[in-house]
Amino acid sequence: MIWMSTITTGWGVISMARIDHTFASRIEMFGGIDFTACYNCGHCTAVCPLVEENASFPRRMLRYTILGMEEDIQSSLDPWLCYYCGDCSETCPRQSNPGEIMMSLRRYLTSVYDWTGFSRRFYTSRKWEFGSIAAVAAVVVLLFALFLRPTADPSGLINADGGVKINSFVEGMSSETFVSVIEIGDWVMAAIVSFFLLSNIFNMYLKVVVRNRKVSPPLSLYVKEAWNLVYHFATQIKLSKCSDRTYWGLHWLLMSGYTIMFTMIVLFLPWFQVEKIHPIYHPQRFLGYYATFGLLLGLIVWSVQRIRKSGEKHRYSHSTDWLFLVMLFLTTLTGILVHIFRISGMVPQTYYTFVIHLAILVPMLVVEVPFSKWSHLAYRPFATYFYNLINSARMLEEKKKK
Amino acid sequence: MRNRIAVYICHCGSNIADHVDVEAVRDAIAGEEGVVLAKTTMFACSDSAQSEMIEDIRENDIDGMVVASCSPKLHLFTFRSVAERAGLNPYNYVQANIREQVSWAHSDKPEQATEKALQIVRMAVAKARLSAPLTPPSITSENVILVVGAGVAGMRAAIELADMGSKVYLIEKDHYVGGRAGQWGNLHVPGVKGEGLVKDLYEEVAGREGITLFTGTEVISSSGSVGSFELTLRRSPRYFNPKGIDTSGSEFTGKVRKAVEACPEELDDDYDFGLTARKAFRHSHPGQFPDLPSVDMQACTRCGKCAEILEGVDLEQEEQRVTVKAGAVILCTGFSPYQPQEGEFGYGEIENVISLQEFRRMMALSGSGGRLLFRGRPVNTISYIYCVGSRQLEGDNKYCSRYCCSAAIHTANLVREKFPGVRNFHFHRGIRSYGKLEELYEISCSEGDIYFQSRDDELPEVIKEDGETIVKIADILTSGRDIEVGADLVVLVTGMVPRDNSRLVDVLKVPVGRDRFFNEVHPKLKPVEVVIDGIYIAGACQSPRNINESMNSALSAAVKSNSLVSSGEIELEPTMAAVDRSLCGWCGECARACPFDAIVREQYEGKEVAAVNEANCKGCGMCLPVCPVNAIQLTGSSDAEIESMIEALIDLK
Ligand SMILES: Cc1cc2nc3c(=O)[nH]c(=O)nc-3n(C[C@H](O)[C@H](O)[C@H](O)COP(=O)(O)OP(=O)(O)OC[C@H]3O[C@@H](n4cnc5c(N)ncnc54)[C@H](O)[C@@H]3O)c2cc1C
Ligand code: SF4
Ligand code: SF4
Ligand code: SF4
Ligand code: SF4
Repeated sequence: MIWMSTITTGWGVISMARIDHTFASRIEMFGGIDFTACYNCGHCTAVCPLVEENASFPRRMLRYTILGMEEDIQSSLDPWLCYYCGDCSETCPRQSNPGEIMMSLRRYLTSVYDWTGFSRRFYTSRKWEFGSIAAVAAVVVLLFALFLRPTADPSGLINADGGVKINSFVEGMSSETFVSVIEIGDWVMAAIVSFFLLSNIFNMYLKVVVRNRKVSPPLSLYVKEAWNLVYHFATQIKLSKCSDRTYWGLHWLLMSGYTIMFTMIVLFLPWFQVEKIHPIYHPQRFLGYYATFGLLLGLIVWSVQRIRKSGEKHRYSHSTDWLFLVMLFLTTLTGILVHIFRISGMVPQTYYTFVIHLAILVPMLVVEVPFSKWSHLAYRPFATYFYNLINSARMLEEKKKK
Repeated sequence: MRNRIAVYICHCGSNIADHVDVEAVRDAIAGEEGVVLAKTTMFACSDSAQSEMIEDIRENDIDGMVVASCSPKLHLFTFRSVAERAGLNPYNYVQANIREQVSWAHSDKPEQATEKALQIVRMAVAKARLSAPLTPPSITSENVILVVGAGVAGMRAAIELADMGSKVYLIEKDHYVGGRAGQWGNLHVPGVKGEGLVKDLYEEVAGREGITLFTGTEVISSSGSVGSFELTLRRSPRYFNPKGIDTSGSEFTGKVRKAVEACPEELDDDYDFGLTARKAFRHSHPGQFPDLPSVDMQACTRCGKCAEILEGVDLEQEEQRVTVKAGAVILCTGFSPYQPQEGEFGYGEIENVISLQEFRRMMALSGSGGRLLFRGRPVNTISYIYCVGSRQLEGDNKYCSRYCCSAAIHTANLVREKFPGVRNFHFHRGIRSYGKLEELYEISCSEGDIYFQSRDDELPEVIKEDGETIVKIADILTSGRDIEVGADLVVLVTGMVPRDNSRLVDVLKVPVGRDRFFNEVHPKLKPVEVVIDGIYIAGACQSPRNINESMNSALSAAVKSNSLVSSGEIELEPTMAAVDRSLCGWCGECARACPFDAIVREQYEGKEVAAVNEANCKGCGMCLPVCPVNAIQLTGSSDAEIESMIEALIDLK
């Protein structure tokens, strides 16, 4: 539908765009609402605390959306540089919800970067959304039912400390083997997730840096700017520029809890998942509790805010937003239950809850991280990385010209 | 000679006092000959200052007064009235303008400004010394008003005038009243159709005894002046006489239809901008009244076919001349939609480029439901190009036509309602949907219409490429990017131009602006008056406007004209030319110089002399310098007064 012919001039790229008015209705499937009311006053861009010299949003993104200028949207980093403070939506005299358009464009871009096409289906079809989660959950349950069935005799499964031996459920499988099996599962899952996520990021790179063609950064710059990745992943510092800083605090708490948990489970499983119940001050328990607390607090506060529709950020909830919150909440909840059942020596309860826990956790990670909302944990720092990369490259080129 | 003069120097807050040393001016003027009182005042126009002046005048037996303040355009009448209230003749008051002409003009040079202010005040004092007490003359007037043009504005004015007790002649050039409002179908007032609006007004006009309506009528000559214009009207015949015929039933309508069918002479129907054809024998469109047939003699061959079918057709009717007397005239002659030039945005060259008026007639004529078709092809996308014929960088139509942004947006909304699925694209230069009309714009945006904006000097282009009509624009809302939009139909949002009315302009000497619309005296202070006393303007003949605004101006013109003539007497300004008949030998120079036809010839003691028609004279002074024997003086600005002012000016050390 969109038709672009590109003329390269001495100054850069000027392109003649043919508009596609059907695009706006497609974006509505990703959550955009009432945005066509925009009359281009620019208040939103004026009040946005995250706008920078070379990143002017959200008005321009809204405009591109209304006109259906897909290539311009796909090659833009702006949606990722927006952290949904919501100031724009609050200020907009037309109630065009510019903040929600930026959110919808992030969903859209996630689907664009994803070369498998799965993400688009996931975002635009409830059937795919719930079907895929259910399918992965079924695979997990099936694997347990086929290969990791519980022993018929639970008598030897209680530790001296009265807790359940979590790694000895399976008949004829030693505790070490069990942990190794789960660990292999972890690695397989991590490999799948990483493969898709990284390939999608590569796709993003092609669209925003390579095809953008305005600059070609030298290799040294790629290395020089790489710190952005770690720094922004770890701090989400841009969020702190929003007027409501508590949100940043809460986000950081949840995010660190999640990362700690993920690291313990994937990288340190033999250390984390042991038969023995450690004393309360042991770092394994201590870190576990911290992560649980961070996750729970964030999830509860955000769910309440979404239910109450408090603030622009929580006024509109796409089904994937809820799915994300609910899945993570259930994962945390079942994790807590496994822990309680274990300590209380309740053997079958521990086993079945553990299976359920994995049947929620695995689809959440496999589906959400590369294809849906979780992907922002990678796209955001990468966007900042690419943004700084392009800017530095531009400055370098300008210097050279002089 | 006045010799008890009071002078007031106004600070005007800081406006004057910041740049002119008002105290110094006061001190200098206090010793001037004839000045008995000199004061400064913070705001001369304030109530308290006015009361103080009145007291001063009464207590000090003042016989002349000067206020040095702002422009006389602003407060001459204020202070004249102060004088009058204090018992002083208002023409012994003189205003000195030391704000617009001094403090604002010379804010960078306070010393020279003070000096200039003093000069100006001294001139005013000199004039006041010689000023004569004057009494305004008055003339009688008819409480009759001629309203020209029976569009919505003319009818509204006529109704209001009749209700206020004036007798009204309402004349309409066409054989049908209604003007343009009936052409557009749905108007952008919720639930109102142009036809309905015209019908209501027509019925009100018809129901009022005080209104005499002449259709098919034009003014062809005029004499006299305010209070008693004598106007000759030419009435062209309708060629149909409804007397004794029942014109209300369906039988009559059926016969009229047959007569129309029988008429062999066909021509473009201008009411539909040539989209349809009509016959020489024609019936009213919906929205035109009266509901009677008429014959267009320009096209008629007098074959008589219509007369065979319809009783009452009379091809022998003759043109009539009627002379009426009126105290005042209101012009409501309306506008025409701008007709795009051949090739303007593809008009006339690309078949699916049409004007807004044509599109609105199309819409009004098409039924509801189904698909929107243009020349048999379905229309899914419409592009509107704004400001066509308005806001021209080159060309005379510099003005914004006001109505068209809202009319175009309203049209787009109508299209969307009537033909869901059709997409509207607007190519504008800044949307001016002012006031409540903003709501139309909001609806249009929310419903998904897309707006593009171009700069005035980089207008969109309409081209045809591979059979497709495309609008190209450098869109400033998208960082100036070149954008192309394919369109099944391109609608040129045309502005308003005044109707071609050169004869009327000639006959009544109505002033026209560069834009060819009728010109008011002052847009704020005299918004419905023209420089000719007794002539008022209202509606779209004055400047582009919508119905609401046309009605407003019609009502003010009605009130203004009624208040002028209704008492039977009109007071005139005494500051006008006066001829010294003993000196005058009638050379006619003054008559040629007068722009207002105020000099007439008369007999005096056996010779021909010039005389001034007081009702016409504006006191402009054009006749004075041309008189070879200096026989004309301007009352209120006599030679002696002006000379004394010049003396006062050059006398200053
Ligand atoms: C496409 C279009 C859509 C519009 N839509 C709207 C709308 O939705 N809402 C709205 O408020 N406005 C709308 N308008 C504006 C509206 O048409 C005008 O405001 C209104 O018609 C002005 O009324 P008028 O009486 O001043 O002039 P007119 O309607 O032009 O009437 C003038 C009358 O004077 C007569 N006349 C002219 N010269 C002479 C003469 N010498 N002697 C005797 N008679 C004479 C004419 O025959 C005519 O009958 C629209 C205009 C256009 C072009
Ligand atoms: S949501 Fe916040 S960060 Fe995003 S565009 Fe609006 S104001 Fe800027
Ligand atoms: S503030 Fe609202 S109306 Fe104004 S440009 Fe932004 S989104 Fe559009
Ligand atoms: S009203 Fe709108 S379309 Fe009409 S001339 Fe003015 S700006 Fe142009
Ligand atoms: S003063 Fe002006 S209007 Fe009066 S007669 Fe002389 S030229 Fe005509």
